Amino acid sequence: MAIYEAAFGFGLVSMSVIALAAVGFTMQFGITNMINLAYGEVMITSAYVAYYLDRAGISIWLGMIAGGLFGAVFSFALNRIVYAPFQRKGTSNLGMVIVSLAISLMLANALLPIVTYNSVSYSEHTGSIVRLGGLVVTINQMIIIGLAIVLMIGIHALLRYTRLGKAMRATAANPTLARNCGIPTQRVIDMVWLITGGLCGVAGVVAALNSDSFAIASGAGFLITALAAAVLGGAGQPYGAMIGAVIIGLITELSAATWSAEYKEVVAFGILVLVMVLRPQGLLARRGALAAAG
Amino acid sequence: MNTFYATNLLVYAGVDIIACIALNLQFGVSGITNFAFIVFQAAGAYAASVLSMPPDSNPDYSFQLYVGGFQLPFPLPWIGGALAGGLVAIPVGLVVLRKLRSDYQAIALLVTSIIANTVITNARPFLNGAAGLALVPQPLQDQIDPRSDEYYYFYIALTAVCVGLVWFVAARIVNSPYGRTLRAMREHELAATALGKNPVELKMTIFIVGGVIAGLSGAILVDFITAWAPSVWLYPETIILFAAIIVGGRGNNVGAILGALLVPVGLEEVTRQLIQMDIGPPNLIPALEWILIGLFILGFLWFRPEGVRPEPRRVFRGGPDVGEVEHGRLA
Repeated sequence: MAIYEAAFGFGLVSMSVIALAAVGFTMQFGITNMINLAYGEVMITSAYVAYYLDRAGISIWLGMIAGGLFGAVFSFALNRIVYAPFQRKGTSNLGMVIVSLAISLMLANALLPIVTYNSVSYSEHTGSIVRLGGLVVTINQMIIIGLAIVLMIGIHALLRYTRLGKAMRATAANPTLARNCGIPTQRVIDMVWLITGGLCGVAGVVAALNSDSFAIASGAGFLITALAAAVLGGAGQPYGAMIGAVIIGLITELSAATWSAEYKEVVAFGILVLVMVLRPQGLLARRGALAAAG
Repeated sequence: MNTFYATNLLVYAGVDIIACIALNLQFGVSGITNFAFIVFQAAGAYAASVLSMPPDSNPDYSFQLYVGGFQLPFPLPWIGGALAGGLVAIPVGLVVLRKLRSDYQAIALLVTSIIANTVITNARPFLNGAAGLALVPQPLQDQIDPRSDEYYYFYIALTAVCVGLVWFVAARIVNSPYGRTLRAMREHELAATALGKNPVELKMTIFIVGGVIAGLSGAILVDFITAWAPSVWLYPETIILFAAIIVGGRGNNVGAILGALLVPVGLEEVTRQLIQMDIGPPNLIPALEWILIGLFILGFLWFRPEGVRPEPRRVFRGGPDVGEVEHGRLA
């Protein structure tokens, strides 16, 4: 029984990490109609930003903020310099997927000569262990869970109670109509990339902190889990991504406890395949993976 | 330039041409963004290997673990490789091509490619895991010495025959009424459906045909290099082929061949020369090569999406005067 309780504790941490990553990813898709396959690489690049600050003796929590800022600025620039011009040119959704994959490849390889293939980890001590009933988590993991909860509530508040959030939802629903109603969609989309990029950066640092070590190759795994959670919840749906993160986080950790940790991503992939076969529009369906859209 | 180097270049060119023709049938002609292409090539390579290798209980092979080991004579492993590529395409196609929107199909295939590699890497007893298979027997190696010049010429000829065969099949497909249907689906899936064409069936067929050709290319490659491991079929390898098709020109086989010669063959040769010059840190030159491939894709999609050799416009000559139609469109 203890193994399941431990797995549940890990599951809580895992779902927090996945939620941070998946919500940013799904918002990019929902609002700007961009499946950004470079997301995993931006995550790992942010993780490395924090890593080099960490090596310079700066606390990992400041490094996390720096990683978030890097992710925000980088994603913003990426959209302004590459994605938005291609979209304005009328490149199809499929063409945009190819563009983002090319960016992902270029980013990973621009990083490679600097960071090499070696695995690294943060010097930060994992912190003392906290026992909550049967759950055993470290202080760092408590902070990660707390951070995820705060940021998720923040995203909820942003989308529900602010003018910007309302404008984002309007832009997601119908960009042309939104623009005609006087919403500066260009600025809204810039804000979306800044916010989701920040989430992406923080998620990268958190994911790296939560794993024993990380390397340049971890980016693909980050992308797959975020994608699985986003698609499971219904692509483009921030709340769906949160639910997806909870489910994927729990199932992958339970499978790691009972089966093998090497297959975590395979389990996430299995869930993805099941969703695509049984319910391609995801759990919270409004606009999803079904044919004949966009 | 010695014979071995020239043979290497020619066989790689042949394999890349076959792969590009297959991917062009899927991506260029039918509009299926098969980001998992390399998986089908790998399936063919693994199948050809285990069909021609002795069982792993053989003392010379006991350092690796794998299923099969049938020691079949020459043409059978290649045929088996091609079949394996097609067989793997069936379940993947059934999951991915039935309901999903085209951009979702692309990411589902990409994820499939990453996960297939992870599974094969970690499941050692199946195909020897990360270390991969080695000492794959070469075709007819007991009759001709594989290290002789004659064998190189023989292998080049064998590859050339396969290239010719694949080219013939692909040309027949592209120029047939069936090829027209595929292009109709690529251009406007809904309209093609309205005319009574079943897009799922069309996509499944071309997905399997592409899988068979990809499997054959894998079999040719593995029997030449005599080893195969997960590290040679990571997903970026598919992106090189996509770059080739985008550069060469989508939708026409000549463009696919041109792309194969320009991107995988040309670029890798240039890189090989640069690596010998030994510049910068060890990862710098390969990394720059990948960045260049990314730039090729972005540059061509931006400046010349139709590629070096655009797909010919197919115009029906029997209808109203072509000039009039053109004029009507301009007006």
